[in-house]
Amino acid sequence: MIIQILLLSGLVLFSILAILLKDLLKAALSLAVASLFLGIIFFRLGASYAGVFEISVVAGLITVLFALTVALTRKDSEVQEARLTRLVFPLFFVIFLIIDGLVMRSLLQQVPALPAGPETGTFGDVLWKARTFDLVAQLGVILAGVLAVLALFRKKEEDKDE
Amino acid sequence: MVFSFIFLPLVIAACLPLIGKISKKLIPDVLTNATLAFLLINSILLIKPIFSRGSLLQNINWFGENVNLQIALDGFNLFMLFTISLVSLCITLFSIDYLKHYGHQANFYALLLVMVAGMNGLVLVPDLFSIYLFLEVAAVASYALVAFGLGPEELEASFKYLMLSVVASAFVLLSITVIFGLTGSLSFQAVARGLQDLNGGLVLGVCLAFFIMGFGLKAALVPFHAWLPDAHPSAPAPISAMLSGLLIKVSGVYALFRIVYSVIGMTPALSKVLMAMGAISIVVAALLALGQADIKRMLAYSSISQVGYIILALAIGTPLGIAGGLFHLFNHAVAKGLLFLNSGSIQHITGTRNLNELGGLGKKVPLTAGTNLVGALSIAGVPPLAGFWSKLIIIIALVQADHFGYALVAILASILTLWYYLLIQRKAFFGPLNDRWQHIKEAPFWMSAANVILALLCLLVGIFFSPIFKTWIAPAADALARGVQQVLMWGI
Repeated sequence: MIIQILLLSGLVLFSILAILLKDLLKAALSLAVASLFLGIIFFRLGASYAGVFEISVVAGLITVLFALTVALTRKDSEVQEARLTRLVFPLFFVIFLIIDGLVMRSLLQQVPALPAGPETGTFGDVLWKARTFDLVAQLGVILAGVLAVLALFRKKEEDKDE
Repeated sequence: MVFSFIFLPLVIAACLPLIGKISKKLIPDVLTNATLAFLLINSILLIKPIFSRGSLLQNINWFGENVNLQIALDGFNLFMLFTISLVSLCITLFSIDYLKHYGHQANFYALLLVMVAGMNGLVLVPDLFSIYLFLEVAAVASYALVAFGLGPEELEASFKYLMLSVVASAFVLLSITVIFGLTGSLSFQAVARGLQDLNGGLVLGVCLAFFIMGFGLKAALVPFHAWLPDAHPSAPAPISAMLSGLLIKVSGVYALFRIVYSVIGMTPALSKVLMAMGAISIVVAALLALGQADIKRMLAYSSISQVGYIILALAIGTPLGIAGGLFHLFNHAVAKGLLFLNSGSIQHITGTRNLNELGGLGKKVPLTAGTNLVGALSIAGVPPLAGFWSKLIIIIALVQADHFGYALVAILASILTLWYYLLIQRKAFFGPLNDRWQHIKEAPFWMSAANVILALLCLLVGIFFSPIFKTWIAPAADALARGVQQVLMWGI
């Protein structure tokens, strides 16, 4: 129980740091540590595949991409944030904590649950046979992302009116 | 055949950037329009079998392997598929000439087709998590399309839209997670059956609140509307038309009401909440629209107000109310698509969207002025145009259900709507011609053609309202009104 609380606290703490830190590299690293905590929580809850993906992709690959992108930015491309904007996240976080403390604890004890449905089996079965449409949709998301990069990082004046 | 609604636009979208290297304009134009024309014909061909059988649950095999590629089709989602295909086709016809201004047609069409595939997928899948994923497919494509012009205003609007949309998706995903925890399943049928066996009142209430926040943000209901008046005017005109005409309805209204009616089941308390939110959106957005000088910004506020009508009507819960809501959804998709495309024509002709700089354009560009008038009067609810009948049905449904207060709000807001649309007419098309516009010409052929087709639809649907309503809208509304039973009957 203590380990679980420590892991959850670490996850929340590093997630907050990822949002609040001004240095982009430190923020990216905080996100990676938060993902690491989440990955460990997944392992402890028995979701080992989710844990593997969380640690390898989110904590590993995405952090590398963030670090590479940060390396390409220049000092003069920093944008000054309005003071009011900086207050938005802490304000919402406090409101969320209050709601969480007042509602969720009692609510979670009342959650009735039916046994898991037919979507059980090995990881391969679930991924390829039960959730096939999700794979199609994920291909769609990746395609949209690639096309977005092609469209938004194009040379603006190139090939107007052939 | 039904799977083509998802796979065909995705496959064509994947090929278009490569085709764009060979032909920058002609083949992308033809291929995109042909794809959407095929989907439109496909949706028309499905009308008879679906209305005679009631519903269709289809699964395909992957090279003989049994995989879960399952779609469900009934009157409600067929109605949505038809609307998506029809309005998208008109928008891509308009884009043939409009995109000369931007260039990069192949990339633009590819993103647009991914958005269409996302919306079609969202409408067809009978699974909560797949709905969330297809919601994201359409959303990711739309962020890029809003920023397609690459100007600072477009990029800022896209970023704001992205941030708020991610919050919306998080609420939706959270709610889906809780429902999965409750029922152990994600498919509509299993969840609907599971929730009937389960007394999850309070938890289900929290899930519904998250769904309303999430889908409310996507539909830009007041008070979740902050992103829309920035995103819609900043986008290129065809994308404004896609977002206002289709995306907010599919990813907001359709998804919310499909889940509320067909999976969880409508309750009197939920009906009251949604009706109140709809009525607030109608009034607040109509008042905000009045003070706008930018045509597209005024149209964006009008979209929030009209979505309010749709939500108000669908939340009544009676078959007539649902039919009125769906009919208004269709009419608004057509008329708002027309008005946003028309604003693109005005910008193309004059180079501005500011109403205070326009004036007297009707004398020089009668086709643009005439089609704008038809769209404006249809949304304002002037007979015999299509919007009049849908608003009339909504008001009759409200009166029949003893919601006299809401009926009064709907009537008064309709007068407000007419007021701000007449403001557009007076400032842009009537009055003395501004000297700056002495030498302007009508918009190019395809832009005008798309405007004319949509204007004719507003007119013809209004004139032939009775047969269209009986044969097309009422069966779609019945499928939704049957509630959870409709989903439990799928495949039987």
